[in-house]
Amino acid sequence: MSDNIFVEAGSFQLNKHGNIACGDTVLLHKFPNQERCIAVLSDGLGSGIKANVLSTMTASMAMNFSIKREPIMRTARTIMDTLPVDSKRNISYSTFTIIDIDEDGDTEIMEFDNPPLLLLRNGKISHLSPQTFTINERISQHNYERVLKLSNLSLKKGDRLIVYSDGVSQSGIGNPNMPFGWEEGVEDFIEQIVKNNKDISARELAHRIVKKSEMNDGLKSKDDTSCICIYVREPRKLLICSGPPFDEEKDKYLAEVISSYDGKKIVCGGTTSQIIARELQKEIEVDMDLDKIASGLPPQSHIDGVNLVTEGIITLGALSKILEENRFNETPQDDAAWNILKYVMDADIIDILVGTKINVAHQDPSLPVELEIRRNVMKRIKRMIEEKLLKTVNLEFI
Amino acid sequence: MVTVRVCVGTYCYLQGGQQLAQWKNYIPKTLMDKVTFVGSSCLGCKEDNAKPPYAKVGEVLIERATPEKIIAEIETQLELIN
Repeated sequence: MSDNIFVEAGSFQLNKHGNIACGDTVLLHKFPNQERCIAVLSDGLGSGIKANVLSTMTASMAMNFSIKREPIMRTARTIMDTLPVDSKRNISYSTFTIIDIDEDGDTEIMEFDNPPLLLLRNGKISHLSPQTFTINERISQHNYERVLKLSNLSLKKGDRLIVYSDGVSQSGIGNPNMPFGWEEGVEDFIEQIVKNNKDISARELAHRIVKKSEMNDGLKSKDDTSCICIYVREPRKLLICSGPPFDEEKDKYLAEVISSYDGKKIVCGGTTSQIIARELQKEIEVDMDLDKIASGLPPQSHIDGVNLVTEGIITLGALSKILEENRFNETPQDDAAWNILKYVMDADIIDILVGTKINVAHQDPSLPVELEIRRNVMKRIKRMIEEKLLKTVNLEFI
Repeated sequence: MVTVRVCVGTYCYLQGGQQLAQWKNYIPKTLMDKVTFVGSSCLGCKEDNAKPPYAKVGEVLIERATPEKIIAEIETQLELIN
């Protein structure tokens, strides 16, 4: 795959109405500094905790074997041999779909009993034509034939892959307008969304599909509902600059990086923003909105040509906390840390430029201990964005 | 009209700037329409023995600013204008 192509993976899940655990498991894995991406969806037999355990085991095995490049048939075999046998139904069973996209866009897909994966290319949905393999499984005198479907394809820019659990395709089942569920409607629905929002993110598309399924069931989902979307596209870039350069001579370099950057730009830090405003000969306005200050973070300001200007270490600390507590899927609040997060969520490649000059004023012992060293906070933010949001992050110190 | 700048840089913000920034909470109603409040990311006081939080009423820099000090300075300046 060429340099200017990016694989975005996003998912959304809802539990069966009234259940505290989801019987479906979604795992997404992106390799740092590579474009290889693996997505796994598993739907455990039944619902609730038992299904959750089955699907978690299945998805974890599928993911970890794929990471180690275990042959996909052996992975499937191992999963089936390992799953515990349900005492009531006397079978061991959990569906799975494994999508393994390599750096060059070559994709291997293994499907077992999930609704068929959809490929959206040039605005039209098509089904793959997989090779099928049969595995015989013997459980207490019964012979079960398991049919696995293997597909290979090469993804191009603009392609999307969509896979969901039967909670989506069977939503609304029994309704007069969809007696057999949403099996056909869902494809039109997806085509329509993408036609109206050409650049919709994978995350947003998955969210919409699952939410519509929930509506089909009158907002009380009859089954666990999950969807994974993959979107291959041009990368969206974001630059976050924080901290004055160690050497003042680098101030010009910092300003130049910002003015010539091809993407969105965020500056975190009072001194940093003053350096940039000075070097680029622009004015800073600090937005003094009382409500925003009440949220506990210093207000945002504005420099022409920069998308967002915030205070430094308090705001970054708050951002780090949101990521740490996995709150990034919540409804965003209107403060500086959440605003940075919004830009981060919408970007694929994030370049972080950290100035390493020590702020003398911050060495005051009366300041709270939470006021951490910028480069440590930034390193932590980088790691969490990579691991939890699956983005590529480049960190540079100046 | 008097313009008040409140520093909301990290250091000042933590040392009381947060309260100063919420100016509607402490500025008397009689002064409300005679002042403009704006934030500043730094008022240019980065020396070693800084005395945060800083605020600037018109051209007068206030160290260890408090609502009382700010109000007093606003009143002084308004009297000069009249």
